[in-house]
Amino acid sequence: MRDPLVSIKGGIIKMKISTRGQYGLEALIYLALNSSVEPVSIKNIAQYCGMSEAYILQIFLVLRRAGIVSSIRGAQGGYMLSREPSEISVKEILEILEGPLALVECIVEECEEPCIRYEMCSTRFLWEKIRERLDSLASSITLADLVEHFRTLDAMQNPDYCI
Amino acid sequence: MKISTKGRYGLRAMVDLAVFSGGEHVSLSSIAERQMISVNYLEQVFSVLRKAGLVRSIKGAQGGYTLTDEPSNIYVGSILRVLEGELSVIEFDNSECRNMIQACLKDMVWDRMNECLNEMVDSITLEDLANDYRRLNGFDAIMYYI
Repeated sequence: MRDPLVSIKGGIIKMKISTRGQYGLEALIYLALNSSVEPVSIKNIAQYCGMSEAYILQIFLVLRRAGIVSSIRGAQGGYMLSREPSEISVKEILEILEGPLALVECIVEECEEPCIRYEMCSTRFLWEKIRERLDSLASSITLADLVEHFRTLDAMQNPDYCI
Repeated sequence: MKISTKGRYGLRAMVDLAVFSGGEHVSLSSIAERQMISVNYLEQVFSVLRKAGLVRSIKGAQGGYTLTDEPSNIYVGSILRVLEGELSVIEFDNSECRNMIQACLKDMVWDRMNECLNEMVDSITLEDLANDYRRLNGFDAIMYYI
């Protein structure tokens, strides 16, 4: 018994969550923690993350275009969140910075090289189920949850410090 | 987060073996033909799978590979870990956090996503994927009982 249609291509694999997603999230938590009063400069964020200003700026341009952060010009300028932290999910951020949370490219809607074995491939169900679970997990976590957990960690680390 | 060609093709080949072996040995060339994966590539993958005890081989004219256990006892996670190593959604080292935000992300995002991924692959068996394969490829219901 043979598959009626076959292809060498099983979908192209890309590395998924990279340092870009990691530092993007890290910078946004920093912003959520520090920008409630005044905007935060790229310099401060870069210092905290231990990354170059150019790298952080590059990430923030993408985040600004996606409507996650806004920039304020001027001497006291910098960046702020465009929305409430509770309205920004980890899924949204990671998809902006990394693309869909898929382990394989062939299940992504905008896949550039669709696999012609797709219809008869049973392993794609596995990749789709994993993607659904990761999507629902990542959309259930917001920046507000991350800020709250950060404060818990911080309080444990510095018991005398009053938040 | 990445699954390499080895993991994807290896898993497909294992599903093929589960569907087509029915107690007999299956030649790599027939898997190669059905799955359109080169025999050379399959040889490498199967040598890893054999060393890990997931398949066994018989040499000779009627030779080939067969699963060492029932497909319902083989979890997708065991196959993927043999071929891919530890399964993680992130490409960077998660073990050391340089600041408290990274520690926060590790607790709240990376560890939970990895847990989710690992739970999934440890709950789905080769039999589940073989059944999907039979259904998708319009095999007779009788194939289920072979």
